[in-house]
Amino acid sequence: MSAIPIHFFIGKGGVGKSTTSALTAVHLASTGRRTLLVSMDPAHNQCDIFGMRFSGKSRPAAPNLEVREIDPEYWIRRYLKETRNHLKRTYAYQSAFNLQDHFNVLQYAPGLEEYALLLAFEDVMQAAGSHDAIVFDMAPTALSLRFFSLPSISLVWLDELLKLRSAICEKKEIISKIKMGACEFETDRVRKKLDERIASHTRLKSRFMSPSTHVNLVLNNDRLSLSEARRIERRLADIDIPISRVVVNKMGPEETMDDIAEIFSIQCLAMLPLVPGGILGLDGLEQAVADNAGALCAIAATL
Amino acid sequence: MMSMAPHLFTALCSRLRRVWGTMDEVARGKAVETVEYEVEELENIFALLVLGVFVGIPSPPIQITMDLMPEMEHEFAVMLDKVSTAHDPLGELFSVLDID
Repeated sequence: MSAIPIHFFIGKGGVGKSTTSALTAVHLASTGRRTLLVSMDPAHNQCDIFGMRFSGKSRPAAPNLEVREIDPEYWIRRYLKETRNHLKRTYAYQSAFNLQDHFNVLQYAPGLEEYALLLAFEDVMQAAGSHDAIVFDMAPTALSLRFFSLPSISLVWLDELLKLRSAICEKKEIISKIKMGACEFETDRVRKKLDERIASHTRLKSRFMSPSTHVNLVLNNDRLSLSEARRIERRLADIDIPISRVVVNKMGPEETMDDIAEIFSIQCLAMLPLVPGGILGLDGLEQAVADNAGALCAIAATL
Repeated sequence: MMSMAPHLFTALCSRLRRVWGTMDEVARGKAVETVEYEVEELENIFALLVLGVFVGIPSPPIQITMDLMPEMEHEFAVMLDKVSTAHDPLGELFSVLDID
């Protein structure tokens, strides 16, 4: 994966993640950067904000700006289909047939939704060669946190499984050496798969922790969203993902950020004002970008 | 009579080779019997860790199960075998260790 700057926007539901990410994407595009805005939120608000229809394929929304919506259901279906086909190829017909019932249940297994987002993320990053910046409008807090922690959690499991698998392979080699005097051994496919998964999760983990990845925490100036923002920050710190910028959205003209400044360093705060009636359509977005150029430069790290 | 001798000698050699081959095979088989049993046990543990969901044991993140399952038909069979002999684990162990 190349080091294209990526910007994630996470936060409590309703704080304005979609609007903030749309503003950042329009700002980046207006500075001449070929930008891709990806909606990872199953609610998909970008079509309402831009007043256009989007899908799983990138669609131009403005000069230098493309928008794409991720449908987790599509990625789950695609992943299950690929696994089922692989299973049919490697298993004897009878056992594959007997597994069908279990397989139908597995598609509802918890954890597949965040993995679907991870697969979509990898796909976006692989196809990102023609872009200079990617903005991710993330799903609600719980799903986003599971998405960010999935590579770390999986690596703990994969490392332990690899140790056990290596012990099995070592003993199998001893057996074939004694029995057949074989010096060359067939590569263990399970170990190969484990190595592949470890490499891919390590890549994802380091991508999340890379300096070119900016995780922006969006909140409003109220106690509820502030408490959730603190929890998000702590959870991300546990998996070594730092918050780049705290965006205080929908700030009223008379409000101050004192409570927030007590918790988050003032240097990482950026403020976006409340726009009565909301920001709608490309014209509305461009106007808001022009009005808040300073804050958006700080958020998008384009200073 | 003399012309029969090389033929007999070859037949004897080949028979000896066969006997030696069988003895060698048996000895090698005996030598690794316990290791083979250990491998099977380890494979069963590995299968339970990855595919435990199929016999009611909590599993790793589901995508790890899904990614590895297509490569684990053998372990799957081992695990299901072990489940069916689970009522008499000592009997199985004693038969491997040749204890009557």
